[in-house]
Amino acid sequence: MKIKNNTLKIFLRPVWSDNPINIQMLGICSALAVTVQLKTAFVMALSMTFVLSCSSFIISLLRKQIPKNIRIIVELSIISTFVILTDEFLRAYMFDVSKQLSVFVGLIITNCIVMGRAEAFALSNPPHLALVDGVGNGIGYGSVLIIVAFIRELFGSGKLFGFQVVPDYLYSIGYEDAGFMLLAPAAFIIIGLMIWFQKYLSRDKELKR
Amino acid sequence: MSERMKSIVFAFILCLVCGTLLTAASTRLQPMQERNAQVDRKKNILKSVSLVKSDRSYDGAEIDRLYEDNIFQYYVDQDGAIVEPAVAGNGEQSSLMTIYLVMDENDQIRSYIIPVESRGLWGKIYGYLALQDDGSTIEGFTVYKHSETPGLGGEIENQWFQENFVGKRIVDHNNEFVSVSIAKGSASDKVPDKNLPNYVDGISGATLTGQYLSSGLRETLKEYEPVSLKFRQNALQCRMQEEKPWCEQ
Repeated sequence: MKIKNNTLKIFLRPVWSDNPINIQMLGICSALAVTVQLKTAFVMALSMTFVLSCSSFIISLLRKQIPKNIRIIVELSIISTFVILTDEFLRAYMFDVSKQLSVFVGLIITNCIVMGRAEAFALSNPPHLALVDGVGNGIGYGSVLIIVAFIRELFGSGKLFGFQVVPDYLYSIGYEDAGFMLLAPAAFIIIGLMIWFQKYLSRDKELKR
Repeated sequence: MSERMKSIVFAFILCLVCGTLLTAASTRLQPMQERNAQVDRKKNILKSVSLVKSDRSYDGAEIDRLYEDNIFQYYVDQDGAIVEPAVAGNGEQSSLMTIYLVMDENDQIRSYIIPVESRGLWGKIYGYLALQDDGSTIEGFTVYKHSETPGLGGEIENQWFQENFVGKRIVDHNNEFVSVSIAKGSASDKVPDKNLPNYVDGISGATLTGQYLSSGLRETLKEYEPVSLKFRQNALQCRMQEEKPWCEQ
């Protein structure tokens, strides 16, 4: 029971209390860039979770074999292999999405979250925990992305996943989409508000304690 | 085994495994990726003359069909004369230029599309510029491949920027060739009113991309000027004679 709790804790920590974007402030760049539409945010979240969990798992499997003096470059090679594989698959099966994501799938390699988890967790923990940690971090990152994209797409273009949700009569009585939502600063402000909100909630908890 | 030897062996095996994986994925997926790129190119040609709508998605077969039905690829020589496909071969002669003609229901040329290959800030910009049969009015502009900064120069692939080109002219009020340029900022603020038909709004934060694309467009249009000139003369004759048969090429 204790192990199960521990696994659950490892999974939940990056989703909420140690969220890579809101708490650790990592991966902000891509969070600004790919959150104009839900679809791209969703694909980016999936790609990120895939890369993060696979690379954490493999690195953790090899953690006893990886020579300490070349470990960073080994981690990078494993991560970039998965990133390039993801990129190739996207270009073959989801061409439109891969065009919109442009360089950002490739930039997963340099996303601090992946390297950070490899160094901080995968190298010193068994594979199944590393996998859980990777999935957790992917979900933590992805959930922020999807929330930001939801707000931006809804208010910026009146759509969700490309389907119009703001009814026509609202437009006819003078409602307008907020063009500002489509620009990067909007994501910055939304993420800022989310950080504030989360800090506010956790502060409450701490005070009670 | 010494520590150093172990590192080298490990690195070697890692390279081998990663390399094999990537090569396998790349060779297996390449046909699909090339097909996607080709469909995307055709889609952009169709988009430049508004034959596909931006608010719905098309599958590959649909694009192929629309392309077959409407677009006809020809080669022209430097004087703007159409070279017979048989003579042109596969267009390998470097002096020949590619042109895409769009026909209407009566087999009349509705517009012509020229491929644009321009220098950009980080790499080349590839796109299509469609002109109406008067040889001077732009019908549409699309970009299908570029490596500009996303959010800045990358905006050239977005609809709001490309829509600016529609209705602009590549000739001035004296019907002399001047090309079409991208203004620095809003065109109506920066350009005198009489030149407005030759300028489109620029992208803030992407002045250099705009400059390179402007000169790329000018060079391409200059090369194709003999073709455009023919269309322009044709249009003029049409207007003077008011006789439709004249308009045929």
